[in-house]
Amino acid sequence: MKLNLLIMFFLIFIYIFIPGNIFAEDISSDTFDLDFEIPEVEKKPYSFNAEFKISETIKGFDEDSLLFNQKYPNGRDDYTFYQTDLNLKFEGSYQISIVKLYVRLNGALYYNDAEDWENDRRTEEAYVSLLPGPSITLDAGKKVLKWGKGYAWNPAAFISRLKDIEDPDATMEGYYVVSGDFIKSINGPIKTIALTPVILPVSRHINDEWSMGRDTIWGCKIYFFAFDTDLDIMFLSGEEVKDRFGIDFSKNISVNFEIHGEAAIVLDYVKYITDQQGNLTEKEYDTKNYLLGTRYLTSHDTTYIFEYFRNSQGYSRGEMKDYFALVEDGYQEYINSRSMAKISKSRQYGSQFYNKQTVMKDYFYLKVSKKEPFDILYFTPSVVCIYNINDKSGSITPQMTYTSITNFEFELKTTFLFGKDYTEYGEKLNDYKIYASMKYYF
Amino acid sequence: MKKTLLTMFMCLYISAPVFALDGNEMLKKVDRNLNPESFEMYRKLINIESDGSKKEFVMYSVKKGKDKIASVFLSPASEKGRSTLRIGENMWLYIPNVGKPIRITSLQSVTGGVFNNSDIMRVDYSTEYNCEKVEPADEGHILHLKAKANTVAYDRVKMWVYGKRLLPDKLECFASSGMIIKTLYFKNIKDFGNGIVRPAVIETDSPLYKGYKSIIVFAKVKVKDLPDEVFTLNYMSKVEGLRQ
Repeated sequence: MKLNLLIMFFLIFIYIFIPGNIFAEDISSDTFDLDFEIPEVEKKPYSFNAEFKISETIKGFDEDSLLFNQKYPNGRDDYTFYQTDLNLKFEGSYQISIVKLYVRLNGALYYNDAEDWENDRRTEEAYVSLLPGPSITLDAGKKVLKWGKGYAWNPAAFISRLKDIEDPDATMEGYYVVSGDFIKSINGPIKTIALTPVILPVSRHINDEWSMGRDTIWGCKIYFFAFDTDLDIMFLSGEEVKDRFGIDFSKNISVNFEIHGEAAIVLDYVKYITDQQGNLTEKEYDTKNYLLGTRYLTSHDTTYIFEYFRNSQGYSRGEMKDYFALVEDGYQEYINSRSMAKISKSRQYGSQFYNKQTVMKDYFYLKVSKKEPFDILYFTPSVVCIYNINDKSGSITPQMTYTSITNFEFELKTTFLFGKDYTEYGEKLNDYKIYASMKYYF
Repeated sequence: MKKTLLTMFMCLYISAPVFALDGNEMLKKVDRNLNPESFEMYRKLINIESDGSKKEFVMYSVKKGKDKIASVFLSPASEKGRSTLRIGENMWLYIPNVGKPIRITSLQSVTGGVFNNSDIMRVDYSTEYNCEKVEPADEGHILHLKAKANTVAYDRVKMWVYGKRLLPDKLECFASSGMIIKTLYFKNIKDFGNGIVRPAVIETDSPLYKGYKSIIVFAKVKVKDLPDEVFTLNYMSKVEGLRQ
């Protein structure tokens, strides 16, 4: 624990007290080499990039919350959780003629109270591309395909893993796909049409999250750029997956105002719902999910990103109350009789269906960030608010990033959760989180 | 007397639009003198803080026609692979980690510092502005430019054009309120070959960023034939592949 606190204080110390000019060259503007040679001009067939991150996370457990009781029915000695993360991300590519190889690896080493030192390695992307010309690209391998225009949520991202809403810009792991990109630029109101067909094979060895047996999933996205608006239409279909169709758009209304939206229909979606006794039922229906959002920049360089998300696959207030009642009953049963039956059942349903992000139906997302206030270059404070409209719970995250030193990025954020009993955020495991990180790119 | 007044009136009436036309023609020539219709270039962008410390970015850019430009950052490592695209007043940013293009606005800045996206993804001045007035100056002209639409970053621009080559020397950029936002200084006229002779350095300062300065240095400005498909969202992650 002392080590964790030391790392946290160290990160905060360098964030606050080391000014950018320590690492900068102290020269007057008159002495710049303006007739310069740029080393980067020489193109090489290979390219390597890496990112090292050290971070410290402190979470304060909410010992009265139902999910705390579900996970730790015997309580904990320490109601604060510390984790140190060391993360190395490597990205490389090699191109010979029209063939390009690309790989992105992510390795993490972390230490916390519960697991001691553990590691996690994954190949996020590894694929080969054929690039015969600007109009055609063919890719095969493990690749991330991010569809949709939303910042926090993407209901039309049919071939992606779910975003971490607490870090929507984080890199993701792809799926094994064969995909193409066919682009046609034309004169007229429609300026660009681009077709992105995707084949996603499923077997016991690859993409096995998609279905139990062998399957071939087909998808396609068609992009139009017309009337200064981006428009995508997409679908996904397969024997073992539910067919889905989507549409998205984005447009700049003015010099500082952008709007975007997404809508998706999933046919015959199956939702699993538990009652208070732990009896699981299936409900099959066509879901209609959609998102509307805007990005607005004020004259004082403050950016507002606001999104409303309707997740009709999510649980209603009553369905979530039933689940929380099951968790509470399970905990009481354990306290009274030491029986794990009900609490184990609630844990199983929690890990499969309920203890996830964006588990209910209606959400707001708001991010307000101020660029370089008080003339401090490369300093961006911001506040993120996620609000569950159905149960009036949510989280508020003030955060700061500082990128004054070339290739270094410092981040500090604190998350506070709010919500009453039997609400999504009110019953989460922790009620606050402090996170500090330092990233180095090379 | 009546005849004289009529002649004077006719002269004034006719000369006003001719002057305006000359201004717009002059602006088009300034655009062509700054760069060919379709070309590639390397740029180093330097942000200098009030204490003298600096931060540098290197970009490779391609431009086609009057209103299409695509760029990719080559350094520093933290920015490498980020690309930007502009078609008219539409702007997008592609960040490799994020994995998809997002729309950005001209008043934001992908690099921080005094230059905003509109300065970094510069399209032809004649695409965005009309010349309302040409005023004689000591060694050239001052063009008074007015934005054609409210989606343009600066409402008004005052452009000092000097010399026979019709190259800009200084630009003052104003908000619709009349407040000066920044001043751009064009320096170091350089022969890039193939008839491209233009300022190799643009410096800017702004009353909004007191003590700060940003500089763009141009290198290897070359004519290049480019297909339209390069200027599309699907191509943003591949712009670096155009380098030879």
